[in-house]
Amino acid sequence: MAESTQHDTLHKAGPAHGETIHLPAPTAWPIVLAFGCMMAAAGLVTSLWVTVFGAVLMVSGCVGWFRQVLPHEAHEDVPVVVQPVTITTTRKVVRRLEIGPEHRAQLPVETYPIVSGIKGGIAGGIAMIFPALAYGLLAQHSIWYPVNLLGGAGVGPSAHITTAEIAQFHASWLAVAIVIHTVTCLLVGLLYGAMLPMLPNRPVILGGIVAPLLWTGLLHSAMGIINPQLDARIQWGWFVVSQVTFGVVAGLVVAREGKIRTGRGLPFFARMGIEAPGLMESHPHAGPPLDRDEEKH
Amino acid sequence: MADQTLPIAGVDITPRRRSTAQMLEWLHGWVVTVDHKRLGILYMVYGIFFLLVAGVEALAIRVQLAWPGMHFLSPETYNEFFTMHGTTMVFLVGMTIIFGFGNYLVPLMIGARDMAFPRLNAFSFWLTAFGGLLLYYSFIGGFGLYGMGAAPDTTWWAYAPLTEKAFSPGHAVDYWALSLIVMGFGTLGTAINVIATTLSMRCRGMTLLRMPLFVWLMLVTSGLTLVTITPLTAAQIMLTIDRYLGGHFFDTQAGGSAVVWAHFFWIFGHPEVYVLVLPAFAIANEIIPVFSRKAIFGYPAMVAASVGIAFVSLGVWAHHMFTIGMTSVGNTFFVLSTMLVGIPTGIKIFNWLATLWGGKIRFAPPMLFCLAFLFQFLLAGLTGIMLSVAPWDWQLHNSYFVIAHFHYVLVGAIVFNIFAGIYYWYPKVTGRMLSDTLGKWHFWLFLIGFHLTFDTMHFVGFLGMPRSIYTYEPDRGWNTLNFWISVGGMIQGIAVLIFAWNLVHSYFKGKEAGNDPWDAWTLEWAVPSPPPVYNFAADPVVRSRRPLWDLKHPDDPDWKYEA
Repeated sequence: MAESTQHDTLHKAGPAHGETIHLPAPTAWPIVLAFGCMMAAAGLVTSLWVTVFGAVLMVSGCVGWFRQVLPHEAHEDVPVVVQPVTITTTRKVVRRLEIGPEHRAQLPVETYPIVSGIKGGIAGGIAMIFPALAYGLLAQHSIWYPVNLLGGAGVGPSAHITTAEIAQFHASWLAVAIVIHTVTCLLVGLLYGAMLPMLPNRPVILGGIVAPLLWTGLLHSAMGIINPQLDARIQWGWFVVSQVTFGVVAGLVVAREGKIRTGRGLPFFARMGIEAPGLMESHPHAGPPLDRDEEKH
Repeated sequence: MADQTLPIAGVDITPRRRSTAQMLEWLHGWVVTVDHKRLGILYMVYGIFFLLVAGVEALAIRVQLAWPGMHFLSPETYNEFFTMHGTTMVFLVGMTIIFGFGNYLVPLMIGARDMAFPRLNAFSFWLTAFGGLLLYYSFIGGFGLYGMGAAPDTTWWAYAPLTEKAFSPGHAVDYWALSLIVMGFGTLGTAINVIATTLSMRCRGMTLLRMPLFVWLMLVTSGLTLVTITPLTAAQIMLTIDRYLGGHFFDTQAGGSAVVWAHFFWIFGHPEVYVLVLPAFAIANEIIPVFSRKAIFGYPAMVAASVGIAFVSLGVWAHHMFTIGMTSVGNTFFVLSTMLVGIPTGIKIFNWLATLWGGKIRFAPPMLFCLAFLFQFLLAGLTGIMLSVAPWDWQLHNSYFVIAHFHYVLVGAIVFNIFAGIYYWYPKVTGRMLSDTLGKWHFWLFLIGFHLTFDTMHFVGFLGMPRSIYTYEPDRGWNTLNFWISVGGMIQGIAVLIFAWNLVHSYFKGKEAGNDPWDAWTLEWAVPSPPPVYNFAADPVVRSRRPLWDLKHPDDPDWKYEA
């Protein structure tokens, strides 16, 4: 069963029967100019006379074109031919998607603030320094060894660097290592804070232990391809210890920060902070207004 | 002109005269046209013609490589064919077809009567067309020391110093550079036109956030084109100066730098991939909702992701140059920036999947091609992420793995969606439906051929087969794989022939389409098929992103829900 609506409803105004519409007049000058341009270029690889011919065409094309648009643009009047057009559909029933209980129908109404992830990243990043330095001292007799491994991965030292060289102090490697460590910890902390609401239970255990183990496994399997030299020098047991240290400390810091309401039930404009009187009351999904003090706590 | 027949001794001579005159008048109409629809059709016909030409070149390459030690082509012709295949597919097929779509559809979708600069539009098309002819004229006019017509043979990226006079005598490289300069100006003209049209000629009620996503993506593509074509044109002019005026921009023996050419080319070359793929996304953005019977999921996110892709794509070019040798900082930057593209692209893929989810999907040819695109583009993105890792790239660069990756993008995404778009809008352009049966034959054969060719190509890449080689020894373990790659190419060729036949046959014998055969929602379906020269007898007024939905469902219009 077709539902049809007249085309006229889309068009509020237009020429009546027998009227015409002004359109730009067809013209040969663009093709003449284009052909002239091509010939002018082709002359460079054929003959000077081809370029001269192209230049003549270009000048003619420009003059002809200018005369088309100056002092007034040339146009043609095209008569309007009324053709019956109906806007129809054979599918007039509109159905809304029904979300069953098996689908995730609820968005998190409470989550950890972004800043807690950053704090967690900073705390975890500081904490993981200690097992890393302990590994350097105990296994390689130098606290600079793990620092240089990290910094050297960014600086890209010689392929034949020795263990003794890695164990020495290098200012540039230290600087690079600090940058890499800081940025990575902040980003992972941020990701961690964002992901915590998705972890159903025991966020500290899942985020602090299980996730670092998975991450380490992924790195372990990929590092041999990405950077075989670095892979050969990583002690994966110590690596796991420092990763878990980061995860647990970051998780505890994030969890201690507490949750805030997300304002998911509010209209988009309200979430953007735009004051729109009446908007929140009229929106079908609007919840109670988000109190700014409440957001802080 | 005679308007009556003269039966003389049983021979009627008048219809032939009238037919010739009509033919000339018809031809004249196309040559002098400034109508965006006719120019769009010219772009498309031109692009499809060169698609067949480039396809023939590809098949010749595949016959040559089907078995070790083949001599189907001479080494010189082989080099010319793969250079011309790449150049043709990027500049004469991809660019022309996407701007064909843009030319035809953008004014119709925004309720305008023509492009902002109709004469510039015609000039841009003819520049592109003549530029392409100049390129192919090199087959007969580019003779140098080769003793025969010499087309460009320095690959489509034409690395220096191979392109310098000392290594490429004759005029083949000159034809390549000059034709790309000419075509480049044509492309810039069209990009300016699309931007001006979109920003200044939208109908009443069509705010930027009510524009069809197709128009949004053509706007983004055109902006990106302005940025990317410019360095290419500059580099071509520098190359021409090197070859004609004794310049040394890329002459490494005289203080020039081959790496500078690589930077110039890839500053153009990588965003160019997005110039080609964004319109392919644009096509999917129109087809997937209509054939899922749902509005596009996450319209604002789709707009933002498109702009994001364009922005990020400008900062990734040197991932093509990992094997040239850069500093660790340079490598790291381009690894990370390349991976960053995955975020907005991922947003798009998830939004397309969310649009499909719960929809009433119709598996007509346009939708079949789009669904294949989704799957293939995801895989292309994954191999792209693999290649963005510099050490991985060091292992596989210049191998067939890279060829497989970019054909997954250029064919698996772009060509598939171009086919989808042609099946979708052909009824609007001609007033006739393409044959559904032939369309499905085309789809399935092309899909099988595509995967046979390009899936297998990944493996010969892993096995170390370098790109661009003329032939190979039989003891490398590549024989069987190469044979099947070539068989897949042949199957794709058959599929494209079916498509070409469908285009021609349906034009004369196809079912009448009506103005809205797909029950769609954008403005182009509100006018007759084919549309009159003025598009809209009266200026349309819209209130939502789906104006035809509002008319078809007055009790449940979209504007009630759009903020």
